[in-house]
Amino acid sequence: MLTVESIRKRFAGAEDAPAALDGVSFHVAPGDFFTLLGPSGCGKTTTLQCIAGLEAPDSGRITMGGDVVFCSERRIAVPANRRNLGMVFQSYAIWPHMTVHENVAFPLVHGMRKAASGEVGPRVRRALERVKLDALADRPAPLLSGGQQQRVALARALVHEPRLLLLDEPLSNLDAKLRDQMRVELRQLVKSLGITTVFVTHDQTEAMAMSDRVALMRQGRVVQLGSPRDLFLKPASAFAADFMGRTNMIRGRLVQAGPPAAIATPLGLIGSDGAPGLPAGAEVFAVVRPQAVTVLPDDAPADGLANVFRGRVIAQVFLGDVVEADLAVGEGSLRVLLSPYREAPVGAALTVEIPPAHCVVVPAEER
Amino acid sequence: MTRAGTLSRRLTQQNVALALLLLLVGVLVLGPLLVLVRTSFAPAGTAPLETTVVTLDNYRAMLASPDTLVLLRNTLVYAVGSVTIAVALATAVAWLTERTDMPGQVLVRILMFSWMAVPPLVLGFGWILLINPGQGLLNVWARAWFGATDAPFTLYSMWTLIVITALAAVPTAFVMVSGLLRNIDPQLEQAGKVLGGSAWSVVRRITLPLLTPGILSVVIYMFMAVVQTFDLPLIIGLTARIPVLSTRVYLLSSPDRGIPNYGLSSTFGIFLLLLASLLMWGYLHATRVGERFRVVTGKGFRPRRLVLGPWRWPALGGVMLYFLVMLMPLLMLFWASLFPVYRTPSLDLLAGASFASYAKAIGSSMVQRAALNTVLLVVLSGTIVMALAALVGWFSVRGGRRIGRIVDILSFAPTAIPPVVMVVAILLLYLRTPLYGTIAILVIGHVSIYLAFGARTMVAAIMQIHKELGDAALTSGASWLTSMRRITLPLVWPHMLNGWLWVVAHSARDLTIPLTLMTASNMVIASALWMMWDFPDLPGAAALSMLLVLGSLLLVVPLQIVAGRATAAPG
Ligand SMILES: Nc1ncnc2c1ncn2[C@@H]1O[C@H](COP(=O)(O)OP(=O)(O)OP(=O)(O)O)[C@@H](O)[C@H]1O
Ligand SMILES: [Mg+2]
Repeated sequence: MLTVESIRKRFAGAEDAPAALDGVSFHVAPGDFFTLLGPSGCGKTTTLQCIAGLEAPDSGRITMGGDVVFCSERRIAVPANRRNLGMVFQSYAIWPHMTVHENVAFPLVHGMRKAASGEVGPRVRRALERVKLDALADRPAPLLSGGQQQRVALARALVHEPRLLLLDEPLSNLDAKLRDQMRVELRQLVKSLGITTVFVTHDQTEAMAMSDRVALMRQGRVVQLGSPRDLFLKPASAFAADFMGRTNMIRGRLVQAGPPAAIATPLGLIGSDGAPGLPAGAEVFAVVRPQAVTVLPDDAPADGLANVFRGRVIAQVFLGDVVEADLAVGEGSLRVLLSPYREAPVGAALTVEIPPAHCVVVPAEER
Repeated sequence: MTRAGTLSRRLTQQNVALALLLLLVGVLVLGPLLVLVRTSFAPAGTAPLETTVVTLDNYRAMLASPDTLVLLRNTLVYAVGSVTIAVALATAVAWLTERTDMPGQVLVRILMFSWMAVPPLVLGFGWILLINPGQGLLNVWARAWFGATDAPFTLYSMWTLIVITALAAVPTAFVMVSGLLRNIDPQLEQAGKVLGGSAWSVVRRITLPLLTPGILSVVIYMFMAVVQTFDLPLIIGLTARIPVLSTRVYLLSSPDRGIPNYGLSSTFGIFLLLLASLLMWGYLHATRVGERFRVVTGKGFRPRRLVLGPWRWPALGGVMLYFLVMLMPLLMLFWASLFPVYRTPSLDLLAGASFASYAKAIGSSMVQRAALNTVLLVVLSGTIVMALAALVGWFSVRGGRRIGRIVDILSFAPTAIPPVVMVVAILLLYLRTPLYGTIAILVIGHVSIYLAFGARTMVAAIMQIHKELGDAALTSGASWLTSMRRITLPLVWPHMLNGWLWVVAHSARDLTIPLTLMTASNMVIASALWMMWDFPDLPGAAALSMLLVLGSLLLVVPLQIVAGRATAAPG
């Protein structure tokens, strides 16, 4: 449905800064919920604006459902209003001089694909019903709460049935509770309409909860592309491992390239199933999610067993649903998750196992 | 799709609008300038644009003439004197209004804003009636009450010209300085107080240094404005034999006797333009320095006011005294408009007062035509300026860096071109076209001169509009024009109205353009006023002055009261 091919963009006036987009490519299948994820300033908004036609890339190609909407070689640049899109902006961009109804009706009245005048009313009403705002149709836009504005923006982006929906951090201005609720509602809504969606966020939890596929971006590049599960469980770089959630990054040296691989770390020798494609001797991180670490019974044998370590609790945080505990193991430390029902005071000894299947090895140079 | 895409890349509404804008502003601004430069190199006695000869004669004549030094000295003395007085007075009043608990602050603000609508020309006439050597009311009273033998107030001197100009310039300076004072972060002053400074040392050590870059930019701006003023030096300075650069440019191109010397006029014009450009450069520099020191917070702003205590009322009295002095010339004109022949005001004469001059003025076909022309002129000028300014604002803020810069420079350049120079250039450019002698040429003049102000207003306004509001219209499928018409313009509407009002008021009071381009068919109230005064028809001119002031105030005051209420600072 949407193909973005190596788009580059450097802003005028920022010539000495690194390019805002440095060869971004990805493909979004019809009906997919696709997410651009990355830290602030990595180029998510710029990518979205290039897709929307609000910014022109310096080079590259963008295709939508068979139509080339941008191609630097053939000098094609279809303007934003002819791309048949719906977009929700980070600021929501609700027009303050109009009512809710007028805001939502705008694409039908002034857009490229105008609706017959008799149809506008019913279609706006249906769009507002979808976001549960039909009761507020006549309210002036400035009198809406943040959550309501977000819904109006969504209704306005969907009312003309665009072929592609673009969402720029639509949830970031909402409070935590509302955000959790809207996450589910938003995904259900676009999925029920079957509309292809490109979603931008810097929150990895949001990305994982909502997306079919995620493109992880950094400094104007896509560094990893895959399902949320892939990104979380099989990060390809230290950056991806770190960005996708809490993790142990255990620095060490690859002593056996594998597979199976073996890494010499301050904790001791750690074995991994992962084949990182790195030569023996390379500096690496062993990526071990706290959730991956198994806590063995106190009387389990430890000495001499591969990937089994004995440690001492040096700190713990009681979070309610879990207890986060830091263990001193060998010369290093390891974070694990414990059941809140398990008593493990500071100083207690624990035996833990790192399953080789759940230990990912990534090169150490960048983070 | 492909074809449409390629084509639409070049021929979008946006690009068409940009091209039209650049063309229009380019012609308005650059056309006259080029003609001016060309004419300054043309030999004397030739009609402009009808010769191919290039000569430096005019420059030689200008440099060789001993007059030139006198002109320059007069201009500088005049400008330095009136700017110093005006800014000092304005700063005092602004400080009292913005930073102390003096009563009547809203009133002072509204009076100051409204006073900008009173034409300096009219004030000048009033002052002439007040202090001319023979009949001047103040002189008559001084002789009658204090036994003065000759006239203690001298009208026709450099000092009088300076004081009258300064008084007339105070409102503009007040508006600028009070803006500065409002934007100082009070926390900085409070920090000074917490550290143990007395109220006065805080003013001296913290407030004033913070203000210095801002005040400097106001001084340079006012300096530029005074160097460019034309009406007061014309009506007072000429009789007093105090020629300045602006009146010289005018007299060379529109002499009372003999044929115009456009070449020399243009050369002096270029000289004046260089002087103004230098000031302009200084102004931009000062405002840039000002930005660097800028301590604007905008939010949660609650100015701490100095408590004047028993001095509150004397302070207000002082400020009101200024307004009284400003009112005197208007009252004088009002008196003069009530009698067919001027007589020294006294209560006994009141019985013979009548509004006959008003009836005569309103009945005169010349005045009627001039009134119609004035309405046409001000409405067209205001509307065209604000329409262009809206586009300038949009492209300057949203058009990208290069385009923004070009549009900015083009629309700001006229600030450095003194109106009296611009009008000579326009005269030269359009003299042989059918436009000459019509209202259209006056509109062209005012649009060129006031575009810079309109553009500043709209750039600031559009900067406040979040970019995504316009973008949202585009992604909704609306064209660029629809997005402008339905979203951007409705959101900046109040700023546009304010700018429109400013242009209308200034266009109505300006004499430079209508007088230099005057023919029998394009007379407006300001030029008619000058004609009647010169004729002389004192009661007629006085009545017409009052009508002009009344008309301007009726338009400006109600809107200022509304705006004044909305922006009145808390506390
Ligand atoms: N108009 C502009 N002019 C110059 N540089 C820009 C402009 N817009 C964005 N940039 C730069 O381009 C880079 C990418 O910006 P972008 O807005 O795409 O980031 P983002 O990933 O959306 O960040 P955030 O999560 O903070 O919204 C940043 O370094 C930013 O400073
Ligand atoms: Mg962003």
